[in-house]
Amino acid sequence: MLVLDRVGKTYHNGVRALEGVSLSVAHGDIVAVVGGSGCGKSTMLRAIAGLDAPSRGRVVLDGAAIAAPHEKIGIIFQEPRLLPWLTVAGNVAFGIGHLPRSERDGRVARALARVGLADKAQAWPRELSGGQAQRVAIARALVPQPEVLLLDEPFSALDAFTRADLQDHLLALWADTRPTLVLVTHDVDEAVALADRVLVMQPRPGRVFEEIATGLARPRDRRASAFDAARGRVLDALDRSLERAPATAIA
Amino acid sequence: MAVAETHIDGEMAPGHGRSGLLPGGIAGPALGLLVPVLAAVGWELAVRLGWSSGRLVPPPSVVWETFLRLAEGGELGRHAAATLSRVAVGFGAGVAAGTFVGAVTGYSTFFSRLLDPTLQALRAIPSIAWVPLFILWFGIFEASKVTLIAVGVFFPVYLGVMGAVASVDRKIVEVGRAFRLSGPQMVRRILLPAVLPSYVIALRSGLGLGWMFVVAAEFMGASQGLGYLLIDGQQLGKPAQIVAAIVAFAILGKITDWLIVAATGPFLRWEDRFARHEAA
Repeated sequence: MLVLDRVGKTYHNGVRALEGVSLSVAHGDIVAVVGGSGCGKSTMLRAIAGLDAPSRGRVVLDGAAIAAPHEKIGIIFQEPRLLPWLTVAGNVAFGIGHLPRSERDGRVARALARVGLADKAQAWPRELSGGQAQRVAIARALVPQPEVLLLDEPFSALDAFTRADLQDHLLALWADTRPTLVLVTHDVDEAVALADRVLVMQPRPGRVFEEIATGLARPRDRRASAFDAARGRVLDALDRSLERAPATAIA
Repeated sequence: MAVAETHIDGEMAPGHGRSGLLPGGIAGPALGLLVPVLAAVGWELAVRLGWSSGRLVPPPSVVWETFLRLAEGGELGRHAAATLSRVAVGFGAGVAAGTFVGAVTGYSTFFSRLLDPTLQALRAIPSIAWVPLFILWFGIFEASKVTLIAVGVFFPVYLGVMGAVASVDRKIVEVGRAFRLSGPQMVRRILLPAVLPSYVIALRSGLGLGWMFVVAAEFMGASQGLGYLLIDGQQLGKPAQIVAAIVAFAILGKITDWLIVAATGPFLRWEDRFARHEAA
């Protein structure tokens, strides 16, 4: 169980990025966080990752407070952030350097096969396409077998086709070990396609505006009317969170 | 000479086709030899045909004879060894100091603000200007020479390391944090590989300056060293000896530079630039 207990963050320049965010996510759940810019969604993710300690409140995973990066928590950033001087296999093995070599090689090979890049093991990161690089980043984050995987707009730099492909791929990988996923995104379709719950956040200061259960079974058909309805509810909440008229009214 | 010419003939032949002139083709490196070889052959012919006495500008054959004579007598080896050891000690000291201070100022804003203005001011002084002071402080023998070389090597290495450390991608460092690397692990697995390409460039320019300053150092009074051969050749009117010493400098400079490239190459295969370099 991942718990955020009244988490707040004020930056040195006085900006209140996050205020009183409380949330609990059961193990294996997928939560998407959406919201306008400056709503603190990335700040919240970095607090869970232990990269930026919150100013107030605390993050707790299975009873243990998180104040620094934790072995059970993995993170995937918006950019692949591969280390250019390591091969693809070297990058995937980056987080499991403490394991014996045979175990490490086995896990890397399985992870690369799982993301469909077994033939790229000895390639350099610069030789990969954007989508391939992000798949390597996913493999790197999953190889230490985290209980919680955080994703910070992981597919936003990719084209629409690659993005949909990787979303399906992420779900397949998630189904292997069922880690908890917390996904920050600005893509409402992505949130509805992946998440059990969508957290709509509101800016200045960043706080939770509304929580929406998508209530959709997997696998999800993006053209189903239930999918459309869930998307409509999220869009509606987003509009209200930004205190503007629903988009349909403008159209 | 005959060997060199056949070499070129043999390699220029396929060069008539477009593919032979591509960077990867064999005509690439051979083409660069064309101008110096033609110039050498031309000058040799000019002297042989009596168009020039070749007294002040000795033809290649005379330079080659002088070079061989100096080498066979063991003189060249002795002078080259003296120069090499000065460069080695001065370069080692300059690199050690430049790397340390550069790493500290690149890593810490405090030390950068504390030290960098002073070092930049010192850098503005032409290093040769220190010579009289160094002689007063360290005497006319090895210490003052090595110090001058070390000062020359220090600045490019310092600047290169500071810039490289300061510009390590924060996002990559964050990956290291997310995977809970300890301080030493962060240095070994993230910072060192990240700064290595710039470090190699800094070392190479430092080495170039080291070779430059060893000549200056040996001009200021030395009883051995390639720089001594230069001065000796000037004072006794032996231009062939000067050119032979210059050739020795060129060879040693190129070899030591190549050693740095060869020693670090395996660690830089990931870089685009080096991949292209290898292919060429």
